[in-house]
Amino acid sequence: MSLFNRYWRVALGVVVIAALIIAPMYLNRYGLFILSQWAVMTIAAMGLNLTLGYAGQVSLAQGAFVGIGAYTAALMTTNGLPLIAGLGVAILLCFAIGWILGYPALRVQHHYLAFVTLAFSTLAFLVFRNESWLTNGIYGISNIPRPTILGYPTNRPLPFYYVCLGSLALVSLATWWLIRSPWGRAFVALRENPVRALSLGIDTRRYTLMAFAIGSALGGVAGTLYAPLTQYIDPVPFNLSLSLDLLLMVIVGGSGFFFGPFLGAMIAVLLPEWIREVTQGYYLMLYAVAVILLLIYSPTGILGIIDRYLTERRTKAASALRAVAKSGLEPAP
Amino acid sequence: MKTGILAGILLATMTAAAALAQSGAPIKLANVAELSGGGATVGTNWKNGIDLAIEEVNAKGGVLGRKLEVTHADSQSNPGVARAQVQKALDGEPYVLLGPGYSGSVKVTAPLAAEAGIAQIMGGEAAELTQGGNKFLFRTSFGQQSSMPKVAKYINDEVKAKSVAIVWVNNDFGRGGRDVITKEFAKLGIKVAADLSTEAGQADFAADVSKIKAAAPDAVFIYLNEEESARILKELKRQGVSVPLIGETTLIGQKVVELAGDAANGARGHVGLTTDAPVDLIKAFREKFVKKYNYVPDHNGLKGYLAIYMIKATTEKMGKVDPKAFADNLHGLTIKAASEPGILMDATFDKNGDIDRQGFLVEIVDGKQVIKQVLPKLN
Repeated sequence: MSLFNRYWRVALGVVVIAALIIAPMYLNRYGLFILSQWAVMTIAAMGLNLTLGYAGQVSLAQGAFVGIGAYTAALMTTNGLPLIAGLGVAILLCFAIGWILGYPALRVQHHYLAFVTLAFSTLAFLVFRNESWLTNGIYGISNIPRPTILGYPTNRPLPFYYVCLGSLALVSLATWWLIRSPWGRAFVALRENPVRALSLGIDTRRYTLMAFAIGSALGGVAGTLYAPLTQYIDPVPFNLSLSLDLLLMVIVGGSGFFFGPFLGAMIAVLLPEWIREVTQGYYLMLYAVAVILLLIYSPTGILGIIDRYLTERRTKAASALRAVAKSGLEPAP
Repeated sequence: MKTGILAGILLATMTAAAALAQSGAPIKLANVAELSGGGATVGTNWKNGIDLAIEEVNAKGGVLGRKLEVTHADSQSNPGVARAQVQKALDGEPYVLLGPGYSGSVKVTAPLAAEAGIAQIMGGEAAELTQGGNKFLFRTSFGQQSSMPKVAKYINDEVKAKSVAIVWVNNDFGRGGRDVITKEFAKLGIKVAADLSTEAGQADFAADVSKIKAAAPDAVFIYLNEEESARILKELKRQGVSVPLIGETTLIGQKVVELAGDAANGARGHVGLTTDAPVDLIKAFREKFVKKYNYVPDHNGLKGYLAIYMIKATTEKMGKVDPKAFADNLHGLTIKAASEPGILMDATFDKNGDIDRQGFLVEIVDGKQVIKQVLPKLN
């Protein structure tokens, strides 16, 4: 049974990955742009999933970190530096700021923490907009170049999509490793019961800061890709609504599930586009209704539904086995 | 042999049918505008203007015998979304791309349209948009680089102010206008007594007005959106500021007069495009618009309307529907209201895609916009 399950899973994984690699060759530029956007937003949502889903720290600042990453990349690449340097600086910068922002998380929890991060989000937006000497303010930064990788230019939509997809793959592998490492276990312990985690010798202070810093750094990675994707950035896309959108992706996909952000970003990026196609004017309303209904039906997101179904089946199978075993044990009358 | 003839006939019929479909098929236009988010008023007015013009054109038989057809897409006032939607629109190979209205969204989409070789008729007013050598971008209204010098000249020559307080809204529209007029003031030797940035959607202007009072300027230049303009006018009246209040288009709009009431009296400024212009064609446009949509449009409604007639006039001049040649033909074209009433006022498009037409100096007197002076077309 479990063997069968595993084969199915591997097969599904292979099909999805193959589709992500092959299908875009037949897509038009619009489709490629949307798919690239999906990959970028998935990376940012994975970062938030680490902070929120695994370590249990509510953050409304992920959009700001995407902004910091985007501005870092934009400023460095328009000044002639390679994107990879921008990526390095963005990761370090976001990690450091995330670490510092983590300090209030040691003191306040849940919605109070949300308020603190919300304030940071607004602050970041104001810096992007008002510090024109650095960010060119509301005019934004245009003509952001796309990188040349191993002598291969990625100016066209398809090669750049593969850059986004490749980055997503690398980030996924790293995260996969992380949540299976002792660190990942410590994050979960932190979410489930911080006092118990502390009593078991987990340095909760350090892991809280770490969860924030790593999550933020992934936001920075997403930003570094966002800038060359749109090739123009201004402060508007990085306001609070992006942070809320990312939060939505994590929760709708299934917070604390590895594949949650993938699905969540799909819902947040692709679903509105699809509904837009079908129902011209009302797409935002329909989208909102769909999300509300989903969360009423399953507060743990889409993967929560699947998880619930699988658990139920497993329980049933187990009770059946127990019943058989029990009848075997009972003495004949 | 027989089959050969049959096949020949079949082929001929098919070719003829295809040709017929070609000439009779509607001309596809694509509009990407701010239908939701911060720019919803801008985008909705623009869209309604477009729809109204297309309805009229189609009712009169279309362009070169072909109907116009438009698709509308929402940019959510977000440049990233605008880029995606424009990309999608261009993949559909439209004849001409319409919108967006926000200058930032225009900046991110203009290279895409230029690469596809499709003309883009947009609503953005930032000065730099038409100065980058893009051969496919066209304005429907004055850019700030042509309207602000007129305002500065008016403040210098007529108001004779030596120091001016500037109040602007901190988005690309407000900041762009503020930057251009500050340069113009410097050229004319006018001192900037106070330089106040405000937020879009700001409700309370008490602090800003106190700063203006403290700076004691000879005049105040106000460059905000309509709602905020009304709020600051009320606050200026409340705090008893009596120096001339001067603006550009938004400050003396119909909506401001309605919202600010008495406080709007005395406000004046330059208007490039207004539904209150003393031009018969514009009055007629306003009536048609109000009849269809039950509200008075702002200048964005006019801009969308004009965009369609720009397309009509250019296409009729070419005598064919040729997306590649469209931009070339619109450069340097003068469209006269006498021959194409839909253009409302004579307009000329230069090699950068900037527009030249007459403008107005307006003052609010007893709750009514009064045209004080008509500024002629430059050439």
